[in-house]
Amino acid sequence: MPPASDLALLVPELWLAALGLVLLGVDLFVGEQNKRTVGWVAVGGLLLALVPTWGLAGAVHRPGTTVFFGSYAVDGFAVFFKFLAIIATTLVILASMDYFRASGDRQGSTQRFEGEFYTLLVFTGLGLVLMAASADLILVALSIEFVSLTSYVLAAYLKGNPKSNEAGLKYFLFGAAASAVMFYGFSLLYGLTGSTSLYVIAEKVATVPAPALTVSLALMLAGFGFKISMVPFHQWTPDVYEGAPTPVAAFLSVGSKAAGFAVLLRVVAVAIAPSGLDYVTLIAGLSAVSMFVGNLLALPQRNIKRMLAYSSISHAGFILIGVAAFGGAFGNTGLLIYLFAYMFFTLGAFFIAALIEARLGSDDIPDYAGLSQRAPGLAFLMALFMLSLTGIPPTAGFFAKFYIFAAAIERSPALLWLVAVGVVNSVISLYYYVNVIRTMYLLPPQDPARIQEPAVLRTALWVTGAATLLLGLYPQPLITFARAAALLLP
Amino acid sequence: MVPLPAYLVLGALLFSLGMIGVLVRRNALIVFMSIELMLNSVNLTFVALSRHLASMDGQLAVFFTIVVAGVEVVVGLAIIVEIFRSRATVNLDDVDLLRG
Amino acid sequence: MADFAWTIPFWPALGWLVLGLVGGHLPRRLVAWIGCGTVALAFAAAVAARATFPGEPQERTLFTWIAAGAFSVDAGLLLDRLSIVMVLMVSGVGLLIHIYSVGYMAEDRAYSRYFAYLNLFMASMLLLVMGRNLLVLFVGWELVGLCSYLLIGFWFDRERAANSGRKAFVVNRIGDAAFLIGVLLLWTSLGTLDLRAIGAQAATLGAPVMVTASLLLFTGATGKSAQLPLYTWLPDAMEGPTPVSALIHAATMVTAGVYMIARLFPLFTHPVTVVVVATVGALTAFFAATIALVEWDMKRVMAYSTISQLGYMFLAVGVLAPAAGIFHLTTHAFFKALLFLAAGSVMHAMHNVIDMHMLGGLARPLRYTAGAFIIGGLALAGIPPFSGFFSKDLILERAWEHAVGGGSPVPFILGLVTALVTAVYITRAARYAFFDQSYREPHPHEAPPVMLWPMALLALLSVAGGLLGAQRIGAPLLEFLAPQFAEAAPHEAAPGLFVPVLSILAGVAGVAIGWLGYRDRRDPDLGWVARLFSRHWYLLDLYDGVLVPAAKRVAVLLAGPVDLGVIDRAVNGIGALAVGGARGLRRLQTGYVRQYAAIILVGTILLMAYWATR
Repeated sequence: MPPASDLALLVPELWLAALGLVLLGVDLFVGEQNKRTVGWVAVGGLLLALVPTWGLAGAVHRPGTTVFFGSYAVDGFAVFFKFLAIIATTLVILASMDYFRASGDRQGSTQRFEGEFYTLLVFTGLGLVLMAASADLILVALSIEFVSLTSYVLAAYLKGNPKSNEAGLKYFLFGAAASAVMFYGFSLLYGLTGSTSLYVIAEKVATVPAPALTVSLALMLAGFGFKISMVPFHQWTPDVYEGAPTPVAAFLSVGSKAAGFAVLLRVVAVAIAPSGLDYVTLIAGLSAVSMFVGNLLALPQRNIKRMLAYSSISHAGFILIGVAAFGGAFGNTGLLIYLFAYMFFTLGAFFIAALIEARLGSDDIPDYAGLSQRAPGLAFLMALFMLSLTGIPPTAGFFAKFYIFAAAIERSPALLWLVAVGVVNSVISLYYYVNVIRTMYLLPPQDPARIQEPAVLRTALWVTGAATLLLGLYPQPLITFARAAALLLP
Repeated sequence: MVPLPAYLVLGALLFSLGMIGVLVRRNALIVFMSIELMLNSVNLTFVALSRHLASMDGQLAVFFTIVVAGVEVVVGLAIIVEIFRSRATVNLDDVDLLRG
Repeated sequence: MADFAWTIPFWPALGWLVLGLVGGHLPRRLVAWIGCGTVALAFAAAVAARATFPGEPQERTLFTWIAAGAFSVDAGLLLDRLSIVMVLMVSGVGLLIHIYSVGYMAEDRAYSRYFAYLNLFMASMLLLVMGRNLLVLFVGWELVGLCSYLLIGFWFDRERAANSGRKAFVVNRIGDAAFLIGVLLLWTSLGTLDLRAIGAQAATLGAPVMVTASLLLFTGATGKSAQLPLYTWLPDAMEGPTPVSALIHAATMVTAGVYMIARLFPLFTHPVTVVVVATVGALTAFFAATIALVEWDMKRVMAYSTISQLGYMFLAVGVLAPAAGIFHLTTHAFFKALLFLAAGSVMHAMHNVIDMHMLGGLARPLRYTAGAFIIGGLALAGIPPFSGFFSKDLILERAWEHAVGGGSPVPFILGLVTALVTAVYITRAARYAFFDQSYREPHPHEAPPVMLWPMALLALLSVAGGLLGAQRIGAPLLEFLAPQFAEAAPHEAAPGLFVPVLSILAGVAGVAIGWLGYRDRRDPDLGWVARLFSRHWYLLDLYDGVLVPAAKRVAVLLAGPVDLGVIDRAVNGIGALAVGGARGLRRLQTGYVRQYAAIILVGTILLMAYWATR
């Protein structure tokens, strides 16, 4: 039995688990027309979960603080990702409520299971929290699998929709195969070091023969790469994003990606780095390839969700720059800042796609023509998100990119080429992002009718929009927070 | 006493067999079974290593992997059944609405 | 220093906010008052800044932007001699052009949108020149690019306008990419982004870093200021409304590159950098002037002329005479804005006809416009006592000293030849447009007073602006700027008469050639030379004939035999390459799960192979 003080450090997780169970109960007693109530309970519960998380942020000062016999970390790094996961889940639930109401009018049957949808989202959020804190290979495997399994269901959530079914199937088979490969890598790493605890592995990894270690690392990267949509493990991304309900795509592109990076970083930085293996060059190479593949494939896309999916792949490449630069004074912070800022503008872009899809029944970029006249507020926000995705100042995206590039240059002059690749790629990406702005602002609308903005979704949108702008103009609080979090990772 | 390398080689063989199954079979159910085979090769490796290292961690991992495999069956079969309902096929090559 | 002085960039930003949020619901008069009034306030603040300037650089921190350990960047503003000159010029010329726009855009549907963009541009440009560190400068740098994009594509119902806007944005971003890497390099080498600190510490950098960083920043400047080889976007940018061309693409934004180099001048004093900057400047000046000689679209003549004059400014900083460059930047803003506004007035009168074949004899019906154009033209041609003479002459003198002092003679020679060519092409344009009766429009009407008054003021400045730098009366502008560049570029001895005489001769000869050579309302037959000029010295053939097809061929190889006809020609070769690459890659995205699984396997094996081969 773990000591009670351990449990005190797990309040956010326990709270989220309890919230999920409560939601299942609430769902039983809520009528079919009022399933939004479940969503509101979920939002309220999630916001309350921020309170104990905030308490932890103040309480945890020691790097490498773990509970449950070293298997579960409660360091600043984990707390940072708790915030990220909870905020992302809250925003996605807010956006889903109006998405289902608006598109339900056209598609019919989804409302009956709406309550389960919110419950699943909350559980996935819990999974993300667990992922970011796992410090033991068994727990890493379990939490990744936890998030994957709920995500498969969420992707296939629109039961009557063949695209959604297909997204679910592809995601499931791809994910299951990638996880199996990763598990095999875990088993080899265990055999090489005799332990599943990352901290114990770190002590022994230096004595392991390098070839065997590289085989196990390559196998593990398949699983992590799948989670963060890194090339060459990216191929599920566009298909799943296109087929899944748009809020789910938003959640996957932000939540699972961030948690995937958390796991990747923890495993690589804690367990692999002491071996002296040069993983930086490899990560840098994967980063460059991801940026190029994602950006080039985003160019010809007409479907906004597919475009955002490829953009998400290229952003995985950008964030990998931070992984390569990890260890420098800026790398640790840069990566966290990027993930946090990225959350807001990516969610925002997906939310607008969700709204347009719900209102117009279309995901095609040409249907965004004249949006500046049909919905000026939406068009402005979308332009802001696109500029931020490109990395144009003074948005959060520019700041994030600047920081991560600076981190790479500071880490080692050998990474200068990677920064050059990154900058070139942000120029390429400009082309398709600005194309959206051009369509919205510079092309006449086919149908001049104004587009209604549902109230709740609008709230979520303005939160993301305000954060995108504020983090660009005044990033200091985020930097302080991220620095504290990064320092706490041993 | 069977030496450790024998178990590891068997594990690797099973893993490769599973991988080949994923690559060459078209039926979603059989692909799924192949993935389970890969997971079982992981289990075999874990158990063998656990015994060799005389540490319980590996056996612990096996239990969890079995659970994971079980849950995957639940979710995976549900999705496959759903696909079968809408398309009356479980042939993976017919599932290609999303591409490009 | 007065607190009011620090509010300079905020007034236009306020105007943008108001017009952007509620502009559509306001009456036109009010929109015009908000649009111009906020810029007037910015100008007033700039005047206050000059009046209360104590002599030492003044800084103001708004808030700490980034603080990470020893490294911190403030969102701060800086007012020193250089930025005061810039804000006065930008807000003053900007105000006149805003007022002109009230008349020019009177008929336009999107009146408030226009002023909102224009105000946003003013705010960004003022931020650019007042930024205290490279990051703030870069924010302004990117925002002016965005505004330029929005305003070039302002008349989006014209397909060409939208494409030109995109081209400008993409070409600029290529330069910006280099700029950003340069910024990062400077930061990692010096640990600061503060502009004055970089200037002060530039000498401590090792030669390789100094040259690399300065050339990267210079590449950014060639994009923004349309120098070789990134000049192609500026002529196309003329698709936007004419006041926009005057403000953004002649007077202010395109000079940002020159400003940036003058601002970081000590960084640009390494011999290698100096040669590159001066050579690119001189070549661009000459190259663009020759194209202007054979161009028929009046606004594009101005565009090439702007590229050419910007070349002079780079030439000036390249021969270590940044003050002369800023002087020319100022006078050029006056007379080129005037020329553009006059051209706009012609378009206004002739219902958007701008092809010089269709113009002619407009001097009588458009008396004031013609007068304004001729004054601007004489200033551009470098005829004394117009302002352009003084600034251009000063640059030539510095180039001469540079050559005599052991530097390269190329800048001086090309500069002098360009002076001649400049006089020829502007005389040609004036003659085609305003003399020799031939216009088809029955009754061209002179512009309304709201457009004429700004032109009158700019004409006055174009005549008298030379006094700012005339040696005989003490050269107030140069004296004011002198302490700024005191250490890096010491003032040379008083010049002789040799260079001014040559420069006047070139200008007068050019005007005479232009007047006599084009009297039959057609270009004299120059044969292959004309073709050389109109094909941009065969650079167009290099771009269109070699680079684009080569890229397309690679694209075909990547993509297989796919129809490439759809590739937008404007996307140039790199675009084709990208699209081709995308098609090839897209083939991998088959939609078949089994193939995805194969890629997982291949990927994992590749990762293992990576280490195996090391």
